Formats: sequence, structure tokens, C-alpha cells
Amino acid sequence: MKTRTYLIKEGYNNLRKHGTKTISTIFIICATMLVLGIFIILFQNVNKNVQTVRLEQGLQAFIDDSATQDDVEYMMDEIKQIPGVKDVTYLNKDQAYEDAKEVFSGLDYFLDGIENLQIFPASFVVRFERIEDSETVKSEVEKIDGIYKVKYNETTIQAVIAISKVANVFLLGVGGVLLVVSIFIISNTIKLAVYSNKREIFIMKYIGATNKFIKTPFVIEGALMGLIAALISFVLISLGYVVLYARAPQIQASLGVFGFLPYSNLWHQILGIYIILGLFIGIFGSSISIKKYLKV
Amino acid sequence: MIEFINVSKSYDRGIKALDNVSVRIDKGEFAFLVGPSGSGKSTFLKLMIREETATSGKILIDGKDVGRLKQKDIPYFRRKIGFVFQDFRLLYDRTVEENIVFALRVIEASEKDIRIQLKNVLAMVGLTGKEKFYPNQLSGGEQQRVSLARALATKPPIIIADEPTGNLDPTTADGIFKTLLEINARGTTILVVTHAKDIVDKLNKRVISLDHGRIVKDSQRGGYQI
Ligand SMILES: Nc1ncnc2c1ncn2[C@@H]1O[C@H](COP(=O)(O)OP(=O)(O)OP(=O)(O)O)[C@@H](O)[C@H]1O
Ligand SMILES: [Mg+2]
Repeated sequence: MKTRTYLIKEGYNNLRKHGTKTISTIFIICATMLVLGIFIILFQNVNKNVQTVRLEQGLQAFIDDSATQDDVEYMMDEIKQIPGVKDVTYLNKDQAYEDAKEVFSGLDYFLDGIENLQIFPASFVVRFERIEDSETVKSEVEKIDGIYKVKYNETTIQAVIAISKVANVFLLGVGGVLLVVSIFIISNTIKLAVYSNKREIFIMKYIGATNKFIKTPFVIEGALMGLIAALISFVLISLGYVVLYARAPQIQASLGVFGFLPYSNLWHQILGIYIILGLFIGIFGSSISIKKYLKV
Repeated sequence: MIEFINVSKSYDRGIKALDNVSVRIDKGEFAFLVGPSGSGKSTFLKLMIREETATSGKILIDGKDVGRLKQKDIPYFRRKIGFVFQDFRLLYDRTVEENIVFALRVIEASEKDIRIQLKNVLAMVGLTGKEKFYPNQLSGGEQQRVSLARALATKPPIIIADEPTGNLDPTTADGIFKTLLEINARGTTILVVTHAKDIVDKLNKRVISLDHGRIVKDSQRGGYQI
């Protein structure tokens, strides 16, 4: 116990000894975490909205043109029997055309003339009891003969989904690069710490220090940097989100249906991920250097 | 306590630092290891603590075959041997007390043992009252005493010293040897590498002479002779 306290203290002293280096290391880890935090926030919010829309509007199952009225009724019964289905509505070609018209409202001329082509297929609109049922219902509906395509009715937030997909790839890319950079920088910081403690390490070895005893302060130094960065990032991203959330009504107005999750639904996830990530970066980064430069 | 059996050591570039050395030093003995520069004295000590590994032969210390120690047992084995360097190897950003406590931390001594041992070894080397001094505030002789106290703190049954008075003037060196004799009188086995001819002659202890990696002389009550 006493030894552990001592080793933690040594790790902390190392941190302070390498002040500016420590600060810049924490800075880059914070950058990584903030990018990742934005990703989590975006992902969760978009996901939440997708779920809301799915629950409200359900999925649309398109029916083969060859299906007879009897077939349609039979299919409808089959869908109703799938567990988790709340209700099913049949949408014939005319209604589909009317719907399309609504979507293209203001662009009526676009649909003029194709009225008679009946290119709009008939379909069922299937809604779920619970959002958790959506995937199983979807795959069950897909299995039914005479249904050639099933998709969620997400037209209202399709733009949001599309943008968020691009943003996610971008954020994960940048986050990944920053993560690698973080690990590299922390391992470099620990390498310098190992060098500046060379004398201590040399003497320790002669006295009979175990490898674990020699390594632990450096691992702790790395872990502390990761944890400090986690806390700083958490405070920053929390402030950021609270400010954003205060403006949610305006943003909602401009995005239409989009609604924001309250921060109480998000913070524990972000904090948890930050702490785990901080420890991972710190311990992994320092271990690389210890292995390489601390030939014990 | 210390036994070398047909030990040879060649370094990478084919230099034979020790050549078929056999010698035994018993528990409680005080012995000098002398010889010209490059004769293999430091190599002898390094083999004892497994800093280097013998090319052939066997080294037994306190019944343990040093060459066959498992990597994870080496630290615990080293605690049996206190090492004193010519250049003291102190931590200059720590006080006398902190330098000694450092060694006790390394072997994970209890708080109680740390307090007791600190007091004991400071008294043993005659540094009581200098606990809060930094090494730079001490004379060379005093610095070597700190290093000696650090080696003693972990209560090793063996102390080995590589030219411990090499950086000190003769009078100061006398003092260090006097302390080493006192430590030996309490039962610690001591092996000292030295070039201090006068002291070796005066102390009338066992002298093991190396030359070109071979033991050329081993006299129980010898003088310094190369
Ligand atoms: N790490 C090493 N690599 C290669 N050769 C070495 C190494 N260490 C020592 N030697 C060689 O081994 C021989 C014995 O060296 P050692 O240091 O044991 O001598 P020594 O008796 O302690 O000398 P000195 O009195 O000058 O300290 C020398 O020829 C030296 O050059
Ligand atoms: Mg030498």
C-alpha cells in the first residue's frame, strides 16, 4: 500500500517535472477527445431523431405490380401477424401519386404528364410498437412474397442523415489520426521522462528494484495525463453542448423536425468513453516507450 | 559466501576480461581485489551482480548459481549485495535522507523499517545530523559515506565497492576504509577493488591480485603487489 502511494507520487512528480511537455501532451489528447465527443453527440442525436421518425412513420414495403387484390389482402394479414407491428396501411398507386405530389409540392410541373404512367408503386406503410422492433419487423416483411423492396420512411430527415454520414466519416477519420498522434506524443513524452530519470533508474537497478517498480511511475505518469485530458475535455464538451442545447429551438426551427437529446442522456456516456480512452492512450503510449527505452 | 569456479568472461570483441578464475571468499571476510588497469576487476564485480554473464564457469553467491538466475529473480538477488561506486552515484536533487530512503523504497521496506534503518545507517557511517543536506553541500568523503549508507540501508550480507576512494584524498580515504572495517566487524562480507596501495599494505587483509584476467596471487595477509 505504502509502495503504491510512493509510486503514484513519483508518477505525479514526473508530470510536474516535465511541465510544458506535459501540457502540450494533454492538449493533443484533449483535441482527440473533443473530436470524438462531437462524433458521439452527432451520432446519438441523429440516431435519436432517426428513431423518432421511424416510430412515427414506420417503414414502407413496395408491392410487385403483378400482385392481385387477393394477394394484397393476404400480404396485409401476414404483416399484421408479425410481432411488434402496430398497424398496416395500404397505399394504392393513386395515393402514392398524391403523396409524391406532396413531397414535390411547388414543383408540380415536374409531375405533370407522368400522372398516367403509374410509375408510383403500391405499398404498405407498417408502423411498430416499439423502436426496438423495427429491424426484426423489417427483415420479416422483406421475406414476404410479392414485396420487392422495404425501406424506412425517413424522407423528412434524409438530408440530416446524409450530412451526418459524411460528418461521421470525417470526424472518425480526424479522430483516428489524432488518436495515433496522441499515442505517439505521449510515448515521446514518456521517452524523455525515462531519459531524464536515467540516473535514478540505473541506481534502482543496482539496489534491486523489480521491473514493475521501475515501470510503474511512468505508466502512472501516462495514465494521469490521459485522465487529466479526459476531465478537461469533458468540461469543455459539456459547456459546448449546454450552449448548443440552449439554442436548440432555433436550430430545430431551421432543420424542421430535428430534436436534440437533453445532456442528461449523454454525459455519462461521454465521460465513460473519455476516461477509458484517456487511460488507454496514457497506458498504451507509455508502455511503448517503457518497452523500447527502459531495458530493465 | 562468494565462490567463482573456473569463471571466464569474454566481451563481444573477443577481449578476455577474466580467464579461468577460481576463488572463494567466506562469510564475514574482508578482501581486496587489486590489479593493473584492464585486469578484469570491475568485470569480476559485474559478474557477481549479474550485470554481465560469465562466458563459462560457475559463480555461487550465498548458495545461488548466479548465472542460472531467472530474469525475475535478479532484482531480489541483487538485494543481497550492496554496491558502492567510485563516483558515488548519488541523486543530487535529493537530500542525504532522501537518497537513503530511496533505496529503502526500492526494496519496498515498511515505513517503520525505513525510519529505523535510516537512523541506523546514518550513525554507522557517521553522518547523523546531515540528513537535510544535499550532496553538493557535502565533501567528497561525506558523499561517499552517503553512498555507503545507501548500500547498507537494505542490510545486504555482502558489500562490494569499485574503487570507493578513487576520487578522495588519502586522509579521507582512510576514514572510508575505517568505516568499511567497522561494517565488516558486524558480520558483513566485504570485497573492495582498489588502487590504494598504502591502505592495502596497512590493513593487512586478504589480497586477491588479478592480471590479464587471471588470479596471479591470493595472500591471506598480503600487501599490495602487482
Ligand atoms: N562492456 C565491455 N565491452 C567490451 N570490453 C569490455 C567491456 N568492459 C570491459 N571490457 C574490457 O575488459 C577488460 C577488463 O575490464 P575491467 O573493466 O574489468 O578492468 P578493470 O580491472 O576494472 O580496470 P580499471 O582498473 O581500469 O577499472 C578490459 O580490457 C576492458 O577493455
Ligand atoms: Mg574498473
